[in-house]
Amino acid sequence: MAAACTSRTRQMMGLLRILRNFSQNERLLSTSVLRHNVASDGPPKFTPPSKPVIIDKTQKEASLRRFLSPEFIPPRQRTNPVKFSIERKDMIQRRKVLNIPEFYAGSILAVTMTDPHVNGNMNRFIGICIQRSGKGLGATFILRNVVDGQGVEICYELYSPRMRKIEVLKLEKRLDDNLMYLRDALPEYSTFNFDMQPVHYEITGDVPVNLLKVKMRPKPWSKRWERPKFNIKGIHFDLCLTPEMMEHAQKWAEPWRPYDMLKEYDTSSLEEHIFKEVQENLRK
Amino acid sequence: MTNTQLVNTVTPVIQCIRTHRTNTWWDEHLTEDNASFLKKVVTEEYKQQTTDKLNPLKDEPWPRHEWVEGSRRVGLVAVKLGMMPVWTKSGERHVVTMLQVQDCHVVKHLSKEEYEGHTAALIVGGKNVSPFHRPEGYLEVFRNAGVPPKQKLTTFCVSDNAIIKPGTPLYAAHFRPGQYVDVTAKTIGKGFQGVMKRWGFKGQPASHGQTKTHRRPGSLGPGGDPAKVFKGKKMPGRMGNIYDTTHGLKVWRVNTKYNILYVNGSVPGHRNCLVKVRDSILPTRLENNKNPPFPTFFADGDEEIPEDLYDQDMFQFGEPMAE
Repeated sequence: MAAACTSRTRQMMGLLRILRNFSQNERLLSTSVLRHNVASDGPPKFTPPSKPVIIDKTQKEASLRRFLSPEFIPPRQRTNPVKFSIERKDMIQRRKVLNIPEFYAGSILAVTMTDPHVNGNMNRFIGICIQRSGKGLGATFILRNVVDGQGVEICYELYSPRMRKIEVLKLEKRLDDNLMYLRDALPEYSTFNFDMQPVHYEITGDVPVNLLKVKMRPKPWSKRWERPKFNIKGIHFDLCLTPEMMEHAQKWAEPWRPYDMLKEYDTSSLEEHIFKEVQENLRK
Repeated sequence: MTNTQLVNTVTPVIQCIRTHRTNTWWDEHLTEDNASFLKKVVTEEYKQQTTDKLNPLKDEPWPRHEWVEGSRRVGLVAVKLGMMPVWTKSGERHVVTMLQVQDCHVVKHLSKEEYEGHTAALIVGGKNVSPFHRPEGYLEVFRNAGVPPKQKLTTFCVSDNAIIKPGTPLYAAHFRPGQYVDVTAKTIGKGFQGVMKRWGFKGQPASHGQTKTHRRPGSLGPGGDPAKVFKGKKMPGRMGNIYDTTHGLKVWRVNTKYNILYVNGSVPGHRNCLVKVRDSILPTRLENNKNPPFPTFFADGDEEIPEDLYDQDMFQFGEPMAE
């Protein structure tokens, strides 16, 4: 026991000695460095303090994703490209004044419009975007919400002078581009609170995809959503249709469609070109 | 390729006579080098001709008069590009057609005596076209004016104080926003069409015992007294591909850089077709057409015109939002 004590104490002493040596050594090192500087340069160089980084929290950060709004891509027609370039100039001019954020079918938006029939002149509506259609200046999007048990859909024109603000409350994609089937789904899937707060979303990386499969009301629906021409993946068909009905719907399948060469429209090169043009002009 | 002629023997059977084919296409007897050289030469010539006409010192322009009430001025030939929406300052949405004036030149002047005895006329040509597939007689008119050959030629009846020297270019700034305009073009051809589409007849009901009669014209007129069908009875036939005019279209905007007119509503014709644009003849729109650029807009550099001219009521996209 005495031996253990002594060994421990010996260890402690050793440690203390090392520490003392270390501190002495440090002091030696530091003084030597100072003396070294003084010897060579003269007075130490003045490094100005780093500039304060101003984080503007009032404006939402612009998305850093490579996103080109679908209305910029011209349709496959025999029109003169001059017409599209002139329309694009107008669209870019409007975008410099009104910020149109990136959004997809399935994102939840809040839109403020001027309305002469309202007291405060502004009219705010929140809903889920079910469809984005139209090319050029006439591009539109439809917002759907259920207000007091009544389903309401409003079609807004992106470039109308009555638009005041477009905010994305929740940015996400769904399994389909066209969510018209929400009209025949249970109302819980289309209700959104008007006091909803914006949900934070990443400005880099992929847009989150909501793999939600929606439950439908009993048939008849406004359209026969099970048919392959709509190609809907976002409906939970197992709960509302029997396998025989699904097979019957496959009678309207057109398996030659993906091989139809006249319907091919490769927009990749066009998109790149237009994306560069738009980015350049927006920065001006 | 030798064309042989059948020797006429004495037989009563109907002979087939082969005629010598006299016309060839322009590069049939040319080598490839020659053909490409000709094409290059022609484009250079066009450029030279257009730049010559832009410079008024080389020409001797005819005297320009002031606009008087009751005088008629030239119109333009334009290409229909497409349509797009336009908003007023109060938020109302209208649709406009974009008409681009591509290489419009005055090609010939016909005096009162030559034309009809009442008014003088100016022949105006539209879009440039290659001279290789046109007959010589057609190209002669353009050679006299010193202008590249055009795809469409139209005549405009013009008062004597509005005549312009052949060869002057015409621009979209000839029309100003707020003016009213008539547009003439060939309508889209629909082919042989039935009476419901062509004349808007009501047809017959789909059910309730109709036997094989749903889109037919029905009766052709009164019975035994005339005992005939009157001339001009509306019947099925070829529809479209005829000249038609839309009157009283407002000009919303003029782009002087690309020479584009934004004209209210729709215009007859398909996309990229050539249309004839002139000042409106409607009596209620004469007020709006006062004091136009007379006889036409000359791009000599007298007046500085901004790139875009907008109508008063139109919403301009670069405007900041009012709160």
